[in-house]
Amino acid sequence: MSNWYNVTAPDDDIAVSSRIRLARNLTGLPFPSRMSGQQLAELNEKVKAAVLESNTPFAKTLKFIPMDSVPENQVYAMVERHIISREFAANRQGRAIILSDDESISIMIGEEDHIRIQVILGGLQLEKAYDTAERLDTLLCDRLGFAFDQRLGFLTECPTNLGTGLRASVMLHLPLLESSGEIAALSDSVSKIGFTFRGMYGEGTKALASLYQVSNQITLGISEKNALDNLSIITKQLIEKERQSYKGINHLKMEDICFRALGTLKNCRILSSEEMMKLLSRIKLGQSMGIIDIKESPVRLLIEGQPYMLMRKHGDMSAEERDACRAEMIRKALE
Amino acid sequence: MLCDNCGKNNATTHIRSVVNGVVTEKNLCGYCAAKQGYSSISNNGLAGMLASMFSDVLSSGSNSAEKRCPVCGASFSDIAESGKVGCAECYNTFYDELLPYLKRVHGSTKHTGKIPNKAPLAVKPEKETVEDLRMQLNTLIREEKFEQAAVIRDKIKKLEGKENE
Ligand SMILES: [Zn+2]
Repeated sequence: MSNWYNVTAPDDDIAVSSRIRLARNLTGLPFPSRMSGQQLAELNEKVKAAVLESNTPFAKTLKFIPMDSVPENQVYAMVERHIISREFAANRQGRAIILSDDESISIMIGEEDHIRIQVILGGLQLEKAYDTAERLDTLLCDRLGFAFDQRLGFLTECPTNLGTGLRASVMLHLPLLESSGEIAALSDSVSKIGFTFRGMYGEGTKALASLYQVSNQITLGISEKNALDNLSIITKQLIEKERQSYKGINHLKMEDICFRALGTLKNCRILSSEEMMKLLSRIKLGQSMGIIDIKESPVRLLIEGQPYMLMRKHGDMSAEERDACRAEMIRKALE
Repeated sequence: MLCDNCGKNNATTHIRSVVNGVVTEKNLCGYCAAKQGYSSISNNGLAGMLASMFSDVLSSGSNSAEKRCPVCGASFSDIAESGKVGCAECYNTFYDELLPYLKRVHGSTKHTGKIPNKAPLAVKPEKETVEDLRMQLNTLIREEKFEQAAVIRDKIKKLEGKENE
């Protein structure tokens, strides 16, 4: 089974991934911060039965995984693959997830809400991801009954998620808008119209691999369809803007930058994760601009080169050992 | 990551400041950030904003502080402090108090999205048994949440009183 970062997808020259998250809660149970260990265990069992004992294709592709049974390296590798949140991983005791074979569908049980349905796909595929999440939501709702209020919609632990409980986000690779400085103004205008725009993988405002995430903020008083349409429109504009920036670029200079990055990755013996991300970002740009012609997906390498992803495959390592292991992994992939 | 200040909530505000050439980094939850005068709206999304909006409730001492959710025992100041609602029934109990904040966060207070097939007309908690309550009480006492424990204890007394009648 192939993960989202192993397959090609629409607009994936710039849109790295699309993610849908639905926040849901059962009736008759306090929200997770006020739940006892026993209530959490009951919740796990209820959700597990609702999915796995349903007569639907979901029952065949989804697996129930108690987090206590997962070794620490694997847990944080899940965070690095965006399957679970860092917060969920840090407080995983007694918690469980339900995960599909290809890892595109995950249900976190007992995170901030009783149920967090997540669907993640490569490229720009918000509608497709939402369709899957919605079907799973309907299945669970029919079997479990969700806390819902006619006025306020789906009831959530944090009032910022009330209503649809829908958080849709797209991760975008925007190296040229970043280097031209346009990103700041775009970020401002996007936030003014009710969307969140933030850098991924970086400290503060600097995004490490020019990866940014746009997501909807408002969940009450807007339908799922409108929220998705709006996000889709904004995303497409950002994608178009990034593509248009190709035109004003000094081609020789860009070739130089991209091939130097490729040369380093093909020959390095020690590679920190920061350097890897910086260089892979250039490879991705080179690919998107038609400068570099390689089959390998820089996004896949970027994810598989994360610390816990390496340790998941090769066992516990010190930071130095990881840097060597990372260099070897990337060199082999680019041979 | 937990808040550096209270150590209870998740840190949503990350502040880097340079004073006399020394860089200090702080990770605060929305509420503590607001309390320390950092505006949390720009880069931390709505959870921080919500907690900072609630901060006036906390400082002014809300008059609904005594009212508690009959299901989970949360008071409005518990909700304001954590930015988290205790249970579904809290939305019924504190509907009027929450409404102005919801309006400021979402710009609307009327759901227009998906309606589930089996939507209950109102959120009705399942009837609690003395057994359930005793379990809750034990947890609360273990967690040293004595105020909430007192509410549950009163409920148990009431229920037991009824059974004896
Ligand atoms: Zn409550």
